[in-house]
Amino acid sequence: MDAEAQENFRDFVESRSSALLKTAVLLSGGDRHAGEDLLQNALIKAAGRWHRIEEPEAYVRQILYRQQVSRWRLKWPRRELSVPEPRENPTRHTTDDEPGAADLRIVIRAALARLTARQRTVLVLRYFEDLPEADVAHLLGCSIGTVRSTTHRSLARLRELAPELAALGPADAEQQPSHDYSPVEVRP
Amino acid sequence: MNIDQLVRDSLREQAAEQPTPAPGLADRVLTVRRRRRTRALAAAAAATAAMVTIAMAVPLMNTGKDDTRLAHVSAHPEQTPPRDMIAAGDLALAAYYTWETDAHGAPVRAYRILDPKTGTYVKTSKWSRVAVAPGLRTAAVLERNLPARRIGLLDLRTGEVERWIPVDRGVASVEFSPDGSKLVATTYGRNPDLRYKKAKYDYDGDGEKDWTLGLDAPGQSSRTGFYILDVASGEGSWSEVAGADQLGVRQDFAFNHDGKLVQSGLFSAPYRQYYDFAGQQVAVPANEAYASWRNESGLSPDGKFAGGGFLRGTRPVGQSRSKLLDPYTGKQVTTVRGAELLAWVDNKHLIAWDFTPDVKSPSLRLVLVTIGSDEVAPLSGITKGLDGAAGHWTPIFAER
Repeated sequence: MDAEAQENFRDFVESRSSALLKTAVLLSGGDRHAGEDLLQNALIKAAGRWHRIEEPEAYVRQILYRQQVSRWRLKWPRRELSVPEPRENPTRHTTDDEPGAADLRIVIRAALARLTARQRTVLVLRYFEDLPEADVAHLLGCSIGTVRSTTHRSLARLRELAPELAALGPADAEQQPSHDYSPVEVRP
Repeated sequence: MNIDQLVRDSLREQAAEQPTPAPGLADRVLTVRRRRRTRALAAAAAATAAMVTIAMAVPLMNTGKDDTRLAHVSAHPEQTPPRDMIAAGDLALAAYYTWETDAHGAPVRAYRILDPKTGTYVKTSKWSRVAVAPGLRTAAVLERNLPARRIGLLDLRTGEVERWIPVDRGVASVEFSPDGSKLVATTYGRNPDLRYKKAKYDYDGDGEKDWTLGLDAPGQSSRTGFYILDVASGEGSWSEVAGADQLGVRQDFAFNHDGKLVQSGLFSAPYRQYYDFAGQQVAVPANEAYASWRNESGLSPDGKFAGGGFLRGTRPVGQSRSKLLDPYTGKQVTTVRGAELLAWVDNKHLIAWDFTPDVKSPSLRLVLVTIGSDEVAPLSGITKGLDGAAGHWTPIFAER
């Protein structure tokens, strides 16, 4: 990488690393250090091909997503994360806010951290990045059906992990019947 | 509310909580990539492993039962003094200094400050004092002629002074509060680093009283008080603090652990005095009763331990240990590897000086130590000599 490319790379990292780190931390289930590792590895890969990359952000994001769901990542030991404890009876709430919304977000956060990397990645892409199913399928290199079924199963798993969510209505994804039975990762 | 809306809100809330990455990420990435390529080439050429620098920002895995994994250790065990950034977790070696002598025979510090853009230490002889703010973006500097009438705020990315804070009374020391929002600057009537003619002593028998450094000349201090300054606005107040008879010629003020008080050493008991920002004497905070200027590391981030001194009897090289104290009682709670604890990385890791294995000429190197583990990870090369010797350098740490 010549001096000009390095400067260009620095500018990119300086301007976009904050947004990229947010995604990386979410993909890592809220683990800040794991998110930093993930982002740093993705940037190292991007730096190696800097001359050939036309859209750096899209490229780095694709590495983040794929790296996260690859088997290699699963070999890393999993850390216990500390997440805020919700109050008792999270659905009962007395403020003017949506009933128990803050507590439920905490419950969801803890449950997200316990999903498999693949399940979490699909939810981050669908609900944080707001990408349509077709784009998620393209990014992860799988079929639209797999994205749909993984989303469906991930939401079902969240409900299993957090019974407090029982009162919530079904998501659109849950209302569509899933006909795709592609294998998904299962973590014991 | 639907579950997908809740997932969306939860993810956005979590994303919004993430702080920005530490500065210098691009340079760390480029450095790691360069090193990996070097390593690959060296392996291909069957070069020896010793030729390959092992400085890499990689996760350090531990083998203990507790998870004490520490991300981003940047070590340079082959460099002394260091040329490339040394860091562990969120703590970086922000600068270091060696001693030089100026035209008046007074000792002056020659600083090397971390350039966050290149990740290297850059020498400067411009400043007599340098304090680096958390974040490694700004340093507060004083020019060489002390006491100084202005405090510079140096942009570490450009190396230029971004702003000067003028002061009516001359200052000779400046320190950031733990959160980087305030400065404490100690005011002196004259330069506290000039050599001072001791009133009574003629050690070398040449018929003249000897020159000495101000530090060991109690009663001769020109210290007058301190400024507390807001970094953003440059506004602040000065407080007079009397009691020069108990002070060394240079006796600077510094913030306490939580940044709500300032404190400075005294020559006689109680050896340390705390003040509020108006300069009024206050009692020692209960959890700092056993902190000491000798133990630089101070309180752990969670306040559970106070870094203590060297554990006697552990001098055999490679075995040195330091004490960790209950900050309220001063009682030794446990020990940790390392000869001198310098700074807390997090609640389980510290950076320390440690003796090197050479028994005949013991020397020091910076190491990363872990509570509950005997493993020591070298961070720097071995200094050429102990404290005060040529070849020794004094580290300054800051959060990155």
